[in-house]
Amino acid sequence: MRSIRAIYVKQAKDMFKNIPVLVQFIIYPVMALIFTVLVAKPDETIADTMFVSMFSSIFAGMALIFSASGAIAEDRESKSLRFLVMAGVKPHEYLLGVGGVLFTAGSVVSVVFALMGGYAGAGFAKFLGFMLLSCLSSILLGATIGIASKNQQAATALGTPAAMILGFGPMITMFNDTAKKIFSVFYTQQLNIAVSDAHAGVIKPLGVILANIAVLAALFALAYKRKGLRG
Amino acid sequence: MIRMDNVVKRFGEQTVLSGVSFAVGEGEIFGLLGPSGAGKTTIINILTNQLDADGGSHSIGAGPLQTGLMLDEDGLYTRLSCLDNLNVFAGVYGIPRSLSVQALKNVGLEDAAKKPVRTLSKGMRQRLALARAVLHRPKVLFLDEPTGGLDPATARGIHSLILRLRDGGATVFLTTHNMDEAYKLCDSVALLHRGVIVEKGSPAEICTRHGAFKTTPDLEAVFIKLTGVELE
Ligand SMILES: Nc1ncnc2c1ncn2[C@@H]1O[C@H](COP(=O)(O)OP(=O)(O)OP(=O)(O)O)[C@@H](O)[C@H]1O
Ligand SMILES: [Mg+2]
Repeated sequence: MRSIRAIYVKQAKDMFKNIPVLVQFIIYPVMALIFTVLVAKPDETIADTMFVSMFSSIFAGMALIFSASGAIAEDRESKSLRFLVMAGVKPHEYLLGVGGVLFTAGSVVSVVFALMGGYAGAGFAKFLGFMLLSCLSSILLGATIGIASKNQQAATALGTPAAMILGFGPMITMFNDTAKKIFSVFYTQQLNIAVSDAHAGVIKPLGVILANIAVLAALFALAYKRKGLRG
Repeated sequence: MIRMDNVVKRFGEQTVLSGVSFAVGEGEIFGLLGPSGAGKTTIINILTNQLDADGGSHSIGAGPLQTGLMLDEDGLYTRLSCLDNLNVFAGVYGIPRSLSVQALKNVGLEDAAKKPVRTLSKGMRQRLALARAVLHRPKVLFLDEPTGGLDPATARGIHSLILRLRDGGATVFLTTHNMDEAYKLCDSVALLHRGVIVEKGSPAEICTRHGAFKTTPDLEAVFIKLTGVELE
């Protein structure tokens, strides 16, 4: 427990000093705010929440995959992870500490998005619930990529296509029905459906997202078993 | 305290260690000497279980929490301050943070406590890595080239710290390719060449055995004679 805490504190401090990572957590809500105020509000034909749901899906898909994979790959590459392991830190303690910070940051940004979208009551709970599950999915995927990568460069190479598909998928589906069918198996698409349409049912998106989490957790366990966290 | 028996290590076709044996007594400073590529880091990695040997046996008489490490890569968090780097480990070990401050003082980095590691010089980083290694007062210390690439004054500071740790009861295992350093600092040494230990014993003993003494011109002595101060 004290190790998780120590790593959580380290990761939180590090994040505030890591400008490229910080930018990823700020840029999407800022973009959503700009587009909402300048485009969605004045235009009667566009739903006020359109850009909030679009950018929140992009955020969940991109920022957390990059930051989770980057953080783990960096600690591996710099060999700092070795010193933690030699000091008796268990791999799950390390991952909970690092993942915990990203989940906290993801939660804060999700709340900002929810407020920006003007959600209230049940709508607020639904939006937040779907966002948090998606953040969790992305952290799992990012951690898997981080473990599987030798260094940060490899993590970026693996993370970019994943983040492109998951982050921008929902946007592409607005223009193409085939894409819509294909992308509907991914959690970010289901997140987008659930939060952009107030009347959409929650059962199907929730089921797909939970299935995604199960698959990602299995992938994570596999990478973890094969690579561990040694050096 | 530390022991290796007939350890063999191969990387693919290359045999890096062929039957390495030695023992280090408790409270001793042991120096593993050898040129680049001899296999020094590989021996530390095997002793600390970061690498598996292909043959032989080894042990250290201390658990992971009683072991301190300084590796060939410092693994410091570059965006965090010196103090924060140590505090991460104080948290992991469950020891008071006041020990982090104390450890910084011991290596003369108290003025740099708040500085981010990426702004430190090489010697300062090395001293911080040493502070992290001894933070939890370990019984056994592994130091991979603790003075590699440092100026003489900083190296001397590290030497005196290592001696103090030994006097406090710690067993120190260090590697170096500096023969002078090994002679002055170590209670016993082993000479490693291409994965084979070619000689071991106390430095004085070894030199006597091989009749190896030299009188070399000493610029430093000239400087001290003329100025009365040591070269810094
Ligand atoms: N992971 C590895 N894979 C393949 N070969 C390796 C690996 N690690 C070390 N070697 C080889 O093992 C030999 C010994 O390396 P080692 O790092 O132990 O040397 P060293 O004595 O520490 O040298 P230096 O003084 O330069 O640090 C070298 O020939 C090196 O190329
Ligand atoms: Mg080495």
